[in-house]
Amino acid sequence: MSRATLTTACAAMLRRDLTLAWRRRGDIAMPVLYALIVTMLFPFALGPEDTLLQRIAGGVVLVTVLLAMLLALDAMFASDIEDGSLEQLVLAPQPLALMLGMKILAHWVTIALPLIVISPLMAALLHLPASVIPVLLLALLLATPLLSLLGAVLVALTVGTRRSGMLLALMLLPLCVPAVIFAAGAVAAAQQGLPWLAPISWLAAALVLAVVLAPLACAAALRIALDS
Amino acid sequence: MTAVRTVVPLLEARAVSFQRQDEPVFAPLDFRLHEGELALVEGDNGSGKTTLLRMLAGLLHLGAGDLLWRGEALQRDLCAGDILFLGHQLGLKADLSPRENLRVATGLHGTREGMDSASLLAEIGLRGYEDEPVRRLSAGQKKRAALARLAMLPATLWLLDEPYANLDRAGIALVNDMLERHTNGGGAAMVTSHGTVSFHGGEPRRIRMHG
Repeated sequence: MSRATLTTACAAMLRRDLTLAWRRRGDIAMPVLYALIVTMLFPFALGPEDTLLQRIAGGVVLVTVLLAMLLALDAMFASDIEDGSLEQLVLAPQPLALMLGMKILAHWVTIALPLIVISPLMAALLHLPASVIPVLLLALLLATPLLSLLGAVLVALTVGTRRSGMLLALMLLPLCVPAVIFAAGAVAAAQQGLPWLAPISWLAAALVLAVVLAPLACAAALRIALDS
Repeated sequence: MTAVRTVVPLLEARAVSFQRQDEPVFAPLDFRLHEGELALVEGDNGSGKTTLLRMLAGLLHLGAGDLLWRGEALQRDLCAGDILFLGHQLGLKADLSPRENLRVATGLHGTREGMDSASLLAEIGLRGYEDEPVRRLSAGQKKRAALARLAMLPATLWLLDEPYANLDRAGIALVNDMLERHTNGGGAAMVTSHGTVSFHGGEPRRIRMHG
């Protein structure tokens, strides 16, 4: 008899969720297309004026990525609850919080990473100077996992409710305000040639806190959701 | 010679009950389950059979009473993985094949000694369907894929909620066979069922539920 080690369990979870996402590749493309289309609407609505678009570019990209992620967040635990996989996961001899952390990581890789990859394109559509793009990418790399983690906690809390999608948006968006302020602040500072390290550090600090606490909160919320 | 049972029971329930919104779901229950034993949980629809099994599995909190695991108060982190639960939701991912589903489960739980997924799936009646997504299998085949997980994982106590549902006659024999092998190997099982169960390893212990 061989017991599973923590590493094999983490690998199994990660592999499972990435395989599932790959089997439904079409779903991955949706948030990406959504983000591209929304970004494209801004020049149409505001006119192709360089200076105006440049000024709003950082903020528009960040908010669009946030909204695109929100579209896919809803489904994070839904199918696992529906088919009983979550019950099996709770009964597995592994720390639930860590396993959920792996799920959140897989979710971030399949939803947020493609958005980060196309963000330079979105920035270019809005004439953001190329020199600012590394800062934008850095801000997104820190802000998107923060949103995934915060979102996961709220998804876990709203899992039993009907129309949880709308409720989720109403609960998550206010919580995202600090992340948006710091990420957009970093991009704006870089655009004006000012130091941008401080807001990025704040984002990183918030991310560290969320990495530690959010999976624990998720695990507690999902246990309560099952216990009814 | 009289065989006096001095062995500590695997699972012991003392006046265990469960309330949902202050309404008792079932009357307080007392039972003991030893290693190598099979218990049949009987009761009408709504008498709380599923609730009992979910509570024993640790998915629901203990309403009242005491649960003892090997003679000591049951602690979930000490017996994690030793108790498996199979309910109406089978816990299979529809987009993965039976083989991939097994691999996820063994990744989380480990493997029972001498088990190998290829021969197990063939034995359980899924030969030729090992790599077919579970969504394309029939209800009975899905059930068999979930049963394969039970057989594959190292665990002492099986909690099976309606394991015979959706299965054909050969499938029912297969469940009985698995239960017999599990109990002969020192495992224990609790099974709920409406239908008549012909367990060929002797008369199972019966736990009667009253709503």
